[in-house]
Amino acid sequence: MARLEAKKPSVCENEPLTSGRVRSMLSVLKRIVTSCYGPSGRLKQLHNSVGGHVCTTSQSSALLRSLLVTHPILKILTASMQNHVSCVSDCGLFMAILCCNLIENVQEIDLTPTTVIELNKLLLSLCTNYLKSEVCGCRIPVDFSSTQILLCLVRSILTSKPACMLTRKEVDHISALVLRAFLLTIPEKAKDYVILGKTIIVPLKDQRVMDSTVLPGMLIEMSEVQLMRMLPMKKSSALKVALFCVSLSGDFSDTGEGTLVVSYGVDLESAVLDQLLNLGWQLVRDQIDIVMCQKVIHPSLKQFLSTHRVIAIDRVGVALMEPLSKMTGTQPIGSLSSISPSSYGSVKDLCTAKFGSKRFFHLIPHEVTVSSLLLCNRSDTTWDELKLTCQTALHVLQLTIKEPFVFLGGGCTETHLAAYIRHKTLNEPGSILKGNECTQTALRLIAEAFCSALESLAGSLEHDGGEILTDMKYGHFWSVQSDCPPLVNWPDLLSRCGCGLHSSQEELSWSFLRSTRHPFVPQNCLPHEAATSANNLTLDCFTAKLSGLQVAVETANLILDLAYVIEDKN
Amino acid sequence: MVMACRVINKRRHIGLQQLSSFAETGRSFLGPVKASKFIIDEESHESILISSVIRLLESLDLTSAVGQLLNEAVQAQNNTYRTGTNTLLFFVGAWSSAAEECLHLGVPISVIVSVMSEGLNSCIEEVVSLQVPIHNLFDDIDSTNTFSGLEAFNVTLCPFLQIPSDTGLIQTNLDLKDASQSVVIYSLSGRPVKSCVFFRPQAKVEARESISQTLVNSQLADNSCRRSILIHSRHFNSTGNSQSISKPDGFLEQCSAAASKTHSCNDLVELTVGLSHGDHSSMKLVEQVVRLQYQNARMQQGNCTMPFMFDISRIFACYLPGLPETFTCVCPGYITLVSISCTTLIKELQNQPVRVILIQGDLTENYHHVGFNKSINIKTVFESMKVNEDSTEELWANRVSQILIQFNVHLVLVQGNVSEHLIEKCMYKKQLVIGSVNGSVMHAFAEATGAMQVAYITQVNEDCVGSGVYVTFWRTIPLDVVDKKNRMAILLKTGGINLVTAVLTGPVTAQMQTKEDRFWTCAYRLYYALKDQKVFLGGGAVEFLCLSHLRIIEEQSLKTEDQACSGWLHNSSSWLASSLALYRPTVLKCLANGWHKYLSTLIHNTANYSSEFEVSTFIQHHLKNAMDSTSPSSYILNEYSTLNRGVFNPDISNKLEQIPRVYDIVTPKIEAWRRALDLVLLILQTDSEIVTGHGHTQTNSQESEGFLFL
Repeated sequence: MARLEAKKPSVCENEPLTSGRVRSMLSVLKRIVTSCYGPSGRLKQLHNSVGGHVCTTSQSSALLRSLLVTHPILKILTASMQNHVSCVSDCGLFMAILCCNLIENVQEIDLTPTTVIELNKLLLSLCTNYLKSEVCGCRIPVDFSSTQILLCLVRSILTSKPACMLTRKEVDHISALVLRAFLLTIPEKAKDYVILGKTIIVPLKDQRVMDSTVLPGMLIEMSEVQLMRMLPMKKSSALKVALFCVSLSGDFSDTGEGTLVVSYGVDLESAVLDQLLNLGWQLVRDQIDIVMCQKVIHPSLKQFLSTHRVIAIDRVGVALMEPLSKMTGTQPIGSLSSISPSSYGSVKDLCTAKFGSKRFFHLIPHEVTVSSLLLCNRSDTTWDELKLTCQTALHVLQLTIKEPFVFLGGGCTETHLAAYIRHKTLNEPGSILKGNECTQTALRLIAEAFCSALESLAGSLEHDGGEILTDMKYGHFWSVQSDCPPLVNWPDLLSRCGCGLHSSQEELSWSFLRSTRHPFVPQNCLPHEAATSANNLTLDCFTAKLSGLQVAVETANLILDLAYVIEDKN
Repeated sequence: MVMACRVINKRRHIGLQQLSSFAETGRSFLGPVKASKFIIDEESHESILISSVIRLLESLDLTSAVGQLLNEAVQAQNNTYRTGTNTLLFFVGAWSSAAEECLHLGVPISVIVSVMSEGLNSCIEEVVSLQVPIHNLFDDIDSTNTFSGLEAFNVTLCPFLQIPSDTGLIQTNLDLKDASQSVVIYSLSGRPVKSCVFFRPQAKVEARESISQTLVNSQLADNSCRRSILIHSRHFNSTGNSQSISKPDGFLEQCSAAASKTHSCNDLVELTVGLSHGDHSSMKLVEQVVRLQYQNARMQQGNCTMPFMFDISRIFACYLPGLPETFTCVCPGYITLVSISCTTLIKELQNQPVRVILIQGDLTENYHHVGFNKSINIKTVFESMKVNEDSTEELWANRVSQILIQFNVHLVLVQGNVSEHLIEKCMYKKQLVIGSVNGSVMHAFAEATGAMQVAYITQVNEDCVGSGVYVTFWRTIPLDVVDKKNRMAILLKTGGINLVTAVLTGPVTAQMQTKEDRFWTCAYRLYYALKDQKVFLGGGAVEFLCLSHLRIIEEQSLKTEDQACSGWLHNSSSWLASSLALYRPTVLKCLANGWHKYLSTLIHNTANYSSEFEVSTFIQHHLKNAMDSTSPSSYILNEYSTLNRGVFNPDISNKLEQIPRVYDIVTPKIEAWRRALDLVLLILQTDSEIVTGHGHTQTNSQESEGFLFL
């Protein structure tokens, strides 16, 4: 019996940002992301409270995986954060906090959303133009002839994720490994264009972090039975490889719909096995040395291959297929019947390796562009976090090759940029507003909101109740304890700025970040030797941060532009 | 609707409190005298007797996030080392209260994290001085020249040779230090210089840092497990090389000569007694296992100097509850239980070598290897009425039996299940089929008999069949030892099998699990001692050194405003770095209290002192002495027998040489500390829990007040 139900009317929410519920939800989200930010950020336990996996993290990508928000406005925010993180891996929290700050700051200002959005766009392009220009005072070109800056970059990423639980020595070790793993993915012979290889992270949980290591080529886990069956290799220059993506387990999964009726005595399984063994003969005739299969190889075929001194490696898994086929130059074979000789590839050598309690086949390619990073950490939770962090670092290194710059980290870029915008809007408002109808007052209001959004983003790095100062020359970020006496000798109390480039002994003057002060021209401070010689800089990825800034402003504009939220309640 | 968020550290940190209350339950397991616990299920009225942390956690409700993280940490320690979980749990408790204390005193979280973490690092560096190297352990068992192999072996089994050369050198220094010190302690006529030489070659090899080297080494490691192949291996020469690099033979012989006179830790018995931690009976079994494995290895190699390795995967434990304690023993070979209906068969097979095949999967008609997806839409139709479905199994069993006859096989070991029908059928044809055989037992038989493991019986060919297995009853009167399920124990043996079965018996069934756990704990303790080739001076000495070391650096940091520690913080530019010196003494004191708590619980549990106060006085007394002396470690070394007696052996007479030393294993202990602190610091830095998914509705009903909703 059909049953009809009256349709519920849609719910329309007018000016959603003015509602108290939306504001409180935004502020909860902001509190979550803000408290995670930076090297002393607080961790979050994500779980379902019924005994599921507990994830302890402060990373945007891990947070996003389990953040399920319901309100459309929050959905817009998390969706653009997700999008940003999947493109550039890093600076997800940066983007989210900045976006929340921007929305929050303009709410008190009595201007139409259109004006606000217009001005935000102008300010954004002012920022990006400055950050991309030669005169930019908060970026450093990357010198690829030394590892210094790249190491600092990786180290900054590792230390900004406290849930990895690494000691200083371990941070150094892992940064070096990540960098080495990355360098192994760069092909030696450069052509007109360079295709970077891939780093595969191999889990080795429950071991000491210092046991982590990097190997060129690929590692595939093997069982002890396989080890016992391994015969010494025939010595030859290269080993011929066949790679199967179809299952060789001898089952018949493609019987289609309907029922297949066979009469008793007809043994389908042995028929398939015969076909597999024929395949085996062909492989032997073609002088294959290693047969690899994404799925399972039938034990009889394995036995057959092993008696003909062919090494069979099965259950490679879908994740390794693409790098394997690239590394060996094989075409993954998808059929059992005919194999074209062109689909075979080769490796330079194959050996076995033992790490911890696991044994691996180690495939060594002719030209190394694939590397394996064996990653250890003491527990599952910290391993998961470390793996994500290393992936981020590897991605950041790739981005850095494309755009060979890094930003100064530790909050310095944000405060410097804020100082620059303040100075520009005060001194050259006309050139910014060129061809625009907005008033200079509006510009000044929005610029202030924009700058304080940037500055409180930098201030989010502080979680223990300290105060933030900025110097009046470079506009860098300095942190100080909160209850310091009023007449204090700053150079004694401060040590270095957030990124570590400047020392307090450089005859600077300071003021509190939140206090009103005279705008100044932040200087381009970079004697390049100084930048490269300082070995403990905190650095941020250029591409990721720039994209984070753009996504934050655009998302904030999008949310500010929302006049109605219409929800279909059916 | 689907997500909630709760702030967990407003003023009092809920997570840390949860941790310490969980840890409190494991207090009584610390030390050699363990108080067992009864765990009673109120619903089913079932109860179990437990005396280990692992079993305790199995019975606790750990569904809270913190409980789960704790369980994860303990399981990780247990899976990797099988020991150190008591220590881990205790320090989780001690340090979570320490961290809470610091929070209460207003120390910023980042400072607590970095000072505690570096404080522990500093302790770990300090306790190196209490390491006792293990040398020439097997000299008393057999002739002298076994040790050069052990050296080469140590090199080859170290696959992580990515250590920068300078750390390799530091390692050497440390080793030199501890070697010389230990000789001073143990051999009164000692020649410290000689044993220093012992460490050098290893460091040289380690310093050669290159990827290709790693590969060669890992291959060596690999080859060393395959004796028969090694002779033909292209890497054979490199094995020779690494032995010639480390030519310590000459020195070693002198060393061992000196050592045997002074009766130091170069003795297996002394080591096992020291590592038994009060559980002499289990450790005695383990010691016998090692001796059997060693003898077997010597016999196999003849004069070849292959290294001896205690292979823990080649121990099989057979549990026979209900039998008297005296039946507990260790046997070379494989002991397992078969139905008493096999008695005649065993009698027939006795006293003659039989041929064996090894089946990896199940031995049933419709078994398929893993990864084989059976199609559901294939139907077999029967054309004649002669065959029916019932007889297909019969036909299959006949075929199996035929294959066994064809290859003249009388023994089948199956890793999975075996069809009952087949077992019965084979029994009449003088074929013994044993199911559910442990994987490492299969490997051992494969190695010893030359059999190849196959998945299907149809795969068997002449190359897969092994030979030379002897089947006998375990006891001469087999029906003496029949268990409740009418099974009796039989012994499978073959020449040179590297497998030892430990038969664990006991009249009280409730104690069997504890017995099993204790046996494996002892086995792994000895395994790691031999693997590390060093042990700690135990009985609380290490913890005492940590305690006094922390007190000393705490005092130092009070006196001198040293800025050296500012590098302890990851983020050295933060104001926290400069205020570190201010908070450092407080945090170190709290960390040290954890060790104090450990020691006093340890001493208290061993029941030599009636009151906590007395224990505390005892510790304070020695702590003061240690801090007044020039170096706490030498104080401990000098006073060790006194301290040791105070802790463990109050009743033994004053003759120093009669007091057995207590040893602890190195790596698992240090890792347990690290894991404990890591967990505490992870929880400490956590400020909120985010509950996602369906679980939220339940949270809502219970305690919704602390939650914010998104």
